[in-house]
Amino acid sequence: MQLVAAELVESREILPGQWLQAFHAPALTVGPRAGQFVHIRPGDFSGLILRRPFSFNTVDRASGQITIHYRAVGRGTDWFTRLRPGDRVDMLGPLGQPFEVDPHSRHLLLIAGGLGMAGVRMLADDALRAGREVTLLFGAASATEVYPSSLLPDEVEYVVATDDGSLGHAGYVTDLVPAYEGWADQAFACGPLPMLAALARLAAGRSSRLGVASLGRKPGRGSGRAGSPSRTAEPGSPAARRKAFLQVSMEQNMGCAVGACLGCVMMDARGAPQRVCREGPVFASTELDWEAGW
Amino acid sequence: VIGQTAVDLSIELPRGLRLDNPILVASGTFGYGIEYSDVVDIQRLGAICCKGTTLRPRIGNVTPRVTETPAGMLNSIGLQNPGVDAVVRKYSPTWAGWHVPVIVNVAGESIDDYVEVASRLDGVPGVAGIELNISCPNVGKGGLQFAIDADAAGAVTAAVRDVTELPLLVKLSPNVADVRPIARAIEAAGADAITAINTISGIAVGPGRRRPLLGNVYGGLSGPAIKPVALRIVYEVAQVVDIPIIAIGGVAELADVLDFLAVGAIAVQVGTVLFADPTLPVRLIDELAAECRRLGLDSYLPLVGTALPARSSPLTAPSSKGVEYRP
Repeated sequence: MQLVAAELVESREILPGQWLQAFHAPALTVGPRAGQFVHIRPGDFSGLILRRPFSFNTVDRASGQITIHYRAVGRGTDWFTRLRPGDRVDMLGPLGQPFEVDPHSRHLLLIAGGLGMAGVRMLADDALRAGREVTLLFGAASATEVYPSSLLPDEVEYVVATDDGSLGHAGYVTDLVPAYEGWADQAFACGPLPMLAALARLAAGRSSRLGVASLGRKPGRGSGRAGSPSRTAEPGSPAARRKAFLQVSMEQNMGCAVGACLGCVMMDARGAPQRVCREGPVFASTELDWEAGW
Repeated sequence: VIGQTAVDLSIELPRGLRLDNPILVASGTFGYGIEYSDVVDIQRLGAICCKGTTLRPRIGNVTPRVTETPAGMLNSIGLQNPGVDAVVRKYSPTWAGWHVPVIVNVAGESIDDYVEVASRLDGVPGVAGIELNISCPNVGKGGLQFAIDADAAGAVTAAVRDVTELPLLVKLSPNVADVRPIARAIEAAGADAITAINTISGIAVGPGRRRPLLGNVYGGLSGPAIKPVALRIVYEVAQVVDIPIIAIGGVAELADVLDFLAVGAIAVQVGTVLFADPTLPVRLIDELAAECRRLGLDSYLPLVGTALPARSSPLTAPSSKGVEYRP
């Protein structure tokens, strides 16, 4: 974690009310992993006193640039849309726990709902670079809110669902998942809570690998024991996520984003609140209590 | 340095609580001191007030727990913490190796709770003092907060005083009609210092205006928005007690520190604003020293109490205990 002065390079409204911004911040291009985020301080300090968290949307070491993608929903995000090239903002990061891809996984299923694209976008780059195959299922309310395919790597298989049927599958993005479940070695999702909860239900039981022998797997690393994915792994531990079929990136109102204020918790499956900023934002779907309501 | 006044920002609070400088970080905003250590030189801080600690673990309130408000934020964390034994086990060995003093903020639902937590902290290496959060409902007395009643505030302070030799700070609530009798009761009960203020009770309305926004409905308002209220309360309390006052409430720049000193605070705590600006507390230390040098002072104490009527400093002026301030 470091404090970095970042300079806006380019700002574009890629969809109505949705912005993609590139910042020159070389220090933040070394080290961050997909799923992590930066906490950015609005410069208008007259009324806005909290930073805003943004996922690393893309990270490019060669140019020293990172991008963020967000919807302008209030005074803070409105302020960010008015930044001009050359303007500087103060970024704190990288923060939080990243997605963990099992070394054995060849086929990655990414599932994004709306702005959830920003949560999984970087993972697509990383996975392709590592020679993995990526299918990205994307859901939005209608065609006008569908993330442009031109902003995705060509190698990604991009499948779209819209609630009103104006583009791609008519219905929810979760409808598309069963067709890919057999192909996917692991799934990674970000989006509205109901979408993530539905995916968690679909994924439940997947980790019980009925009939799959643990040949050639080293015992004691939590990998080969059927039905016990990471039973010994602490919530927030890389092992707990790496062994999960589904990893989810969660969102919650944040204060400090470093684990000090305890503002952004989610209830885990053992009834203990976990900090989205510190133990998350990426969790194994099995770690969270989806019925707790918080 | 040649040509510059050497400035000593250190202060000695009662019971040997020595601070290198009067800039502390407020409870609930700095965790257990470790969370910000990547970007803040925490050993330079005057002191760290850690997250509120209770006898038993608490999971806290339902979310949403925080929301931004104009120049401030509302929070309703609900005292989530692992309980005093876990805090002592997990953090006190680390604190014991630190130069910066750690003051443990203590909360409870009954006087017995406070007493038990305080006695488990007494004598623990690494624990430099106790700050009582008395803005908690007294479950045995119909849920009335200790902080809103002089007798209850005095009783809990006296009970804790009996079981600990640690420096004892008591944190005032602003959610009262007149804070002065409460401050006097706390002083009379043996507190070593008063911290003021805790958050101001408030609510926000949720999306669609169908219910309040916070999961717990009520939250505590903090940040620059509450600074005038904090100034007023420090101003009032400074005129009726002799023990030192540590001010909290929206400190965002040196001018805020100087304002709180002027109305009688001996030190300040930085809280909400450090979420946006984690390096602020350390910067304030340097800026306060620079301000003293600019004024030709070798200590900041002459800046304390300058805006109080007929009393220059709570540490040096004659006692005004019992003298009512009538606006």
